[in-house]
Amino acid sequence: MRKYWSIFWVNWQNALQYRGPTLIYLLGNILRVSVLIYLWNSIYQGQGHLATYTLPDLITYYLLQLVINSLVLSYVSWEIVDQIREGAFSNFLIRPINYLHYWFMVNLSTKLFEGALILVVGGILSFVLMDYLSAPTHVMSLVLFVLSLLLGGILAFEFDFAIGLLAFWLVQANAFKYMLQYMIFFFAGALLPLDLFPKAFQTVAQALPFRYLVFFPIQIFLEKEPDPERGLAVALIWGIVLYLFLQYVLRRGIRQYEAVGQ
Amino acid sequence: MRVWRSLSRYLGLYRSFLAHNLKNEMIYRANFSIALGMDIFFMSMNVVFFAILYTNVETIGGWTYDQTLILVGSVGFIREIAYLTFRQGFLELGDYVRTGRFDSMLTAPMAANAHLAFRHVSLTESLGEGLMGLLLVAYGFAHVHDAAWRNIPLYLFMLINSLVIYYAFCLIVNSAVFWLVKSQELNTLVYYFMDTARYPRDIYRGFGKAFFTFVIPSSLVATVPAGILAGRMDGSLIVLALGIAAAALTAGLLIWNWSLHHYSSASS
Repeated sequence: MRKYWSIFWVNWQNALQYRGPTLIYLLGNILRVSVLIYLWNSIYQGQGHLATYTLPDLITYYLLQLVINSLVLSYVSWEIVDQIREGAFSNFLIRPINYLHYWFMVNLSTKLFEGALILVVGGILSFVLMDYLSAPTHVMSLVLFVLSLLLGGILAFEFDFAIGLLAFWLVQANAFKYMLQYMIFFFAGALLPLDLFPKAFQTVAQALPFRYLVFFPIQIFLEKEPDPERGLAVALIWGIVLYLFLQYVLRRGIRQYEAVGQ
Repeated sequence: MRVWRSLSRYLGLYRSFLAHNLKNEMIYRANFSIALGMDIFFMSMNVVFFAILYTNVETIGGWTYDQTLILVGSVGFIREIAYLTFRQGFLELGDYVRTGRFDSMLTAPMAANAHLAFRHVSLTESLGEGLMGLLLVAYGFAHVHDAAWRNIPLYLFMLINSLVIYYAFCLIVNSAVFWLVKSQELNTLVYYFMDTARYPRDIYRGFGKAFFTFVIPSSLVATVPAGILAGRMDGSLIVLALGIAAAALTAGLLIWNWSLHHYSSASS
């Protein structure tokens, strides 16, 4: 286990080194979300209404989405694709570490670093917007919310890792990566709350596991989720099944691997 | 006279860079179809976003669904022209600075920003966005009530004006590369600049309106040209956009040229 913690710390140092770019990246995200907040505000000022959401619900939704984007959603497939495609993956074949566990630690340290930054920013933003936010009324909701973030983070990593592994089989993995990531983003409810979708879409979104990344935690926070415990259990099962599946795919991938350029 | 000569020289340079890059793009046909498919996918998702919103509301900031399609289409259109003129270079800038290859841009007998812009002009990188954008604009235009054909030249003119604003914003943001030595995140910021341009300017109030006009002028980029075709033309807004474009370009060039002094020429 110690070797995995050193991976964690090396990556943490690396993240510290590049804190400038990370801050700018967060700035872009804040920009995106504040525009959306203006959009909802304008719709509600015009007497518009979206499903069961009040304006504070929606503003809270997007503020949480901003935090989740940094704290939960994973973007490591980008480097995994490069490593496999350019042959740097070979280095991992001779090391006594599991490739999945390695990236899990890298992702964990990146997410905690980014998460710490975004919590500061989110804290300031929610202080400014205090009068326009919805807060949970039960302590239990907060506990379940934190648990759902944890499971969401694990699932998000697993999906992203799966996308990265596509590079074993597809030369043009990058193009598919963007589209798949966006589909996940979309069906996670990062763009729009899933219950605003037309009925048919909603059924699909409810059946897919992506909702556990964004929509499900936020629904718990807003206390709109009818059965949080059941959802958490389902997310946990998904997490375990995906873990076993990914280890299997990784073994198949290594057999497929051609070590280009090495 | 001198301005004219310099302009025609740069036009000639652009033409040869374009010809060179087009030949390159022709070789990789598979890449082309993948890029095209990807663009169409992302544009469709933008439309889906608004389609879902408009099942819940009649108008957004006074804009109907058809009018909004003109807005979304215009953003795609502007992005394609940007790839045909300057965008790709900024995406590669971080690599050039980190490896020291930026040296060659400083020593070539043309302005560094022009060299950076023209080096990888691309027709296909964003072609799907451009074509689908055009379709959306056409569809919206056909369904809008006060559509007027005679406004099309003004629309195109203001699109170019928006391109100037977009370019100036790219220059200002990317000037930070000489300190950060990494441009990926800077260009994420630029990406969000265009991404947020597809919401009508009318959604902003008070501070937000000023901020998205004078600090980050994204509220003008698509709304002003699209408004002309959507029957929402606003003379004072057009004048404002022209003024912002001129001011932003001047500021952009000044900041960029000043930042060049901070280039440390790594490894050479």
